[in-house]
Amino acid sequence: MRLYTRHRKKVLFLGTAFFLMFVILIVRLSYLMIFQSEYYLERAQDLHERERNIKAARGNILDTNGVVLATNKTVCTISVIHSQIQDEDAVVKMLVDELELDEAKVRKRVQKVSAIERIATNIEKEKGDAIRSYDYPGVKVDEDYKRYYPFGNLASKVLGFTGSDNQGILGLEAKYDASLAGAKGQILTTTDAWGIELKGVKENRQEPKAGNNLYISMDYNIQKYAQQLAERVKEEKQAKHVSMMVMNPQNGDILAMVNVPEYDLNQPYVVTDAQKALLGEEGADLPKMEQLNRMWRNFCINDTYEPGSVFKMVTATAAVETKSVSLEEHFTCPGYAVVADRRIRCHKTTGHGTQTFAETVANSCNPAFIEWGRRVGTERFYQYMGKLGLLQRTGIDLAGEASTIIHKQEKVGEVELATMSFGQSFQITPLQMIRAAAAIVNGGNLVTPHFAVKMESPDGNEINEMEYSIQSGVIEPETSETMRGILKQVVETGGGHKAYIEGFSIGGKTATSQKLPRSSHKYIASFVGFAPAEHPKVMAMCLIDEPQGVYYGGTIAAPVVKELFENILPYLEIYKEKE
Amino acid sequence: MENREQRGRRRPPQPQRQRKRRKKAVRRKYFDYTLLIMTMLLVGIGITMIYSTSSYTAYVKYNSAEYYLKKQLLYSILGLGGMYVTYRIDYHKYQKYWKAAGIIAVIMILALIPFGTKVNGAKRWLRFMGLSIQVSDVVKLAVIIVTASMICNMGKRYNKMRYVFFIWMFCGGIFAGLIWVVSNNLSSAIIIFGIVVMIAFVGYPYYLGHLSMLGAGGIAGFFAYQYLQRSTTSAADADNFRHARMLVWLNPEKYADTVGYQTVQALYAIGSGGIFGKGLGNSLQKLGFIPESQNDMIFAIICEEFGLFGAIFLMTVFGILLWRIVHVAQNSPDLFGTLLAVGVFAHIAIQVVLNIAVVTNTIPNTGVSLPFISYGGSSSVILLAEIGILLNISAQITREV
Repeated sequence: MRLYTRHRKKVLFLGTAFFLMFVILIVRLSYLMIFQSEYYLERAQDLHERERNIKAARGNILDTNGVVLATNKTVCTISVIHSQIQDEDAVVKMLVDELELDEAKVRKRVQKVSAIERIATNIEKEKGDAIRSYDYPGVKVDEDYKRYYPFGNLASKVLGFTGSDNQGILGLEAKYDASLAGAKGQILTTTDAWGIELKGVKENRQEPKAGNNLYISMDYNIQKYAQQLAERVKEEKQAKHVSMMVMNPQNGDILAMVNVPEYDLNQPYVVTDAQKALLGEEGADLPKMEQLNRMWRNFCINDTYEPGSVFKMVTATAAVETKSVSLEEHFTCPGYAVVADRRIRCHKTTGHGTQTFAETVANSCNPAFIEWGRRVGTERFYQYMGKLGLLQRTGIDLAGEASTIIHKQEKVGEVELATMSFGQSFQITPLQMIRAAAAIVNGGNLVTPHFAVKMESPDGNEINEMEYSIQSGVIEPETSETMRGILKQVVETGGGHKAYIEGFSIGGKTATSQKLPRSSHKYIASFVGFAPAEHPKVMAMCLIDEPQGVYYGGTIAAPVVKELFENILPYLEIYKEKE
Repeated sequence: MENREQRGRRRPPQPQRQRKRRKKAVRRKYFDYTLLIMTMLLVGIGITMIYSTSSYTAYVKYNSAEYYLKKQLLYSILGLGGMYVTYRIDYHKYQKYWKAAGIIAVIMILALIPFGTKVNGAKRWLRFMGLSIQVSDVVKLAVIIVTASMICNMGKRYNKMRYVFFIWMFCGGIFAGLIWVVSNNLSSAIIIFGIVVMIAFVGYPYYLGHLSMLGAGGIAGFFAYQYLQRSTTSAADADNFRHARMLVWLNPEKYADTVGYQTVQALYAIGSGGIFGKGLGNSLQKLGFIPESQNDMIFAIICEEFGLFGAIFLMTVFGILLWRIVHVAQNSPDLFGTLLAVGVFAHIAIQVVLNIAVVTNTIPNTGVSLPFISYGGSSSVILLAEIGILLNISAQITREV
């Protein structure tokens, strides 16, 4: 049959129609490949790329002599890649056997269709090697760092610990986390649809940066000795807690900070037996987290107490400096004092008799201090508390410092002033107290107590030394000298004589603080001592919380400091004075 | 419609003038090199891309990266041999044996019922002397021959719309219907029916009937689309997979993890190609993300590796090929040649458009391979044979010098 032009036109019609369809498709393609390109590329990359973090080695924490207090050890992370697993049952059985995990949980993880599924972290290296030796496809063993504390519970409440991601959670680990942590590295690998990494495709690798090493002022030997001492005292006195602090009063370097019971830093989430005993039966019902929080508390900074008679050194300092009382003046204690219509007893109910100013301190005579406080007056009293740093936090490089609990100045009447004069009816932290004591005896410089001394880069090239503010001249050097003499007398002839060591010049002050409510008859026995008395190089404080039996600071806390001093003074190159 | 047709009939036939011109023409042996070169270019691109897309997964699956490449090379050689054979056969022979072609096609479809190989629940393959033959591909060639022959045999009687409907029903109804019912292959049925409709359209003298049908179809489609958009059914619980595919089409990423997986993966591939692509061999989506990417989704990988430029280049090659087929159709010595050429044109053009539209999610997902490029033996051999037929037609073109 013949072909007509109309047929040709129809063919052209069809050709044109398809040409238009091609144009539409090209427009559609252009839209997808130009305007949507970024969107789809990103999504596709998400699909193809697997991001693997490389942990950075965390910096060590070292004591003043370079003893490593916190470091890392190699542990393993076990994961499974679903698509690569060949024998599911064998993998599940192996993981259950090796890791002692619940079979149902492991099976669920193994069966989950995901790129990579973590089974367990922080597995000992030997176990990781054992799992690796099975050589099952789809089971991955990645080596990793875990924080490790060689001395277990040493200074646990100071050092703190890290979490599963190696991030600092408490203590110095948390405070200096940013510098200790370093920077994570990353490997970006490209995988096929079954999750197998492609060879020959460029791998994006960003090396991790190891964290800096932190040097602290703590001295391992002193800390260890103080901790042993505190543990022994706690045992002997059946006390709840025993805290010890050793500080350089000239610059605020803390050489030791002990709070027994301590806990094992390598197992921070296990409530220790000592802590369980402390919490008692009521405590056992508390949520686990609350129990742990209590175990982790650092009594020296996280809790406040009534400082009691140790505080008398503050009242005395204010009295001396404001010349409210002359050193030659005498005071007669009848065994009580009447303030407003209240009768306040002296601890020696028969009275101390007639005493010099220095003797009132040595005897820790309450009626005398009521008088000294009254003469100083509320305004100056608060002024000196402020000057000696008792109205604000110390600024120590640990988190969670408690703040002073005290009456508003306007509301302080005669009775309040009287009780405050001998260290009652307000609360401060033990650390605030030792800091004030340091300022009183070091010539009037208010230091910032601290641990961190310097940060050092892993290669040792960059060193960043910490600086801490010292507020100088908060009291006159002469006042300080006077106070050193008076406090030396406390140890030589007064209530602190049990801290006296033959041949050493030691100053100090005792305290027996009542815990609230006063009707509970619970006490905190404490003692602050320093040596040498003329030029203090070391200051120590011991607090015994709720001792059984004798609870006087002078009787039970002073000997602890004495024993400590006997051992650490020679170590600190403080020797017996030649006769 | 009657008026239009009568007017058409009254018009003085133009071919008289042409006949006069043809008498002056000097007959010269003619060979369409452009058509051949474009075909060879497509076959070459196809082999390259099949190797590129399949090597990784073939290695994973069969431990041989060249698994699909080798097979496709064999099919291509077979197909080129077939092309030479059909080039040497005078195309008028097909008009004589069209009944045989039709009957063989029907027998092959029916043979699927007892002998067909079941793949994914549908019977589409016949195993014959160690070769797997996709019956729908053979039917496509058969339906071109049958439809063209029937229309030519009707001669001048083929000027009423009822004959057009008859062709639709007879050729389309039998072949497309059987393929749909027997092998549950809607996309092939649509292509077969499309071929029939286009041949029938070119053979028929007028436009109005077809255009009004097209309009009616368009309106129906518009309402269907509206209905679909308001549908609250989720693809996951749609009553059948075709309904689900419609819903996926509208919102592919919503179903990216289930029924929309393939569509979304194809879009990732296309989009991540950008303007210039990642370069040959650098596709990531072919690494198992798009399953069997050497088949229907091969165009997505071409987009990923060669970018928008590569995609437009390939479409241009198809465009030139189709333009040459239009040329053959327009200059064929007689109507039968024209209709055969139109059939081949329809076969290739419909598949290219549907394939690219599916891959770009312009229309709902349906399995259509990309002619000459996608992996597949029967389709390569049949398409090359059709090109051979075109070359034979074009060799019989007389042209003026």
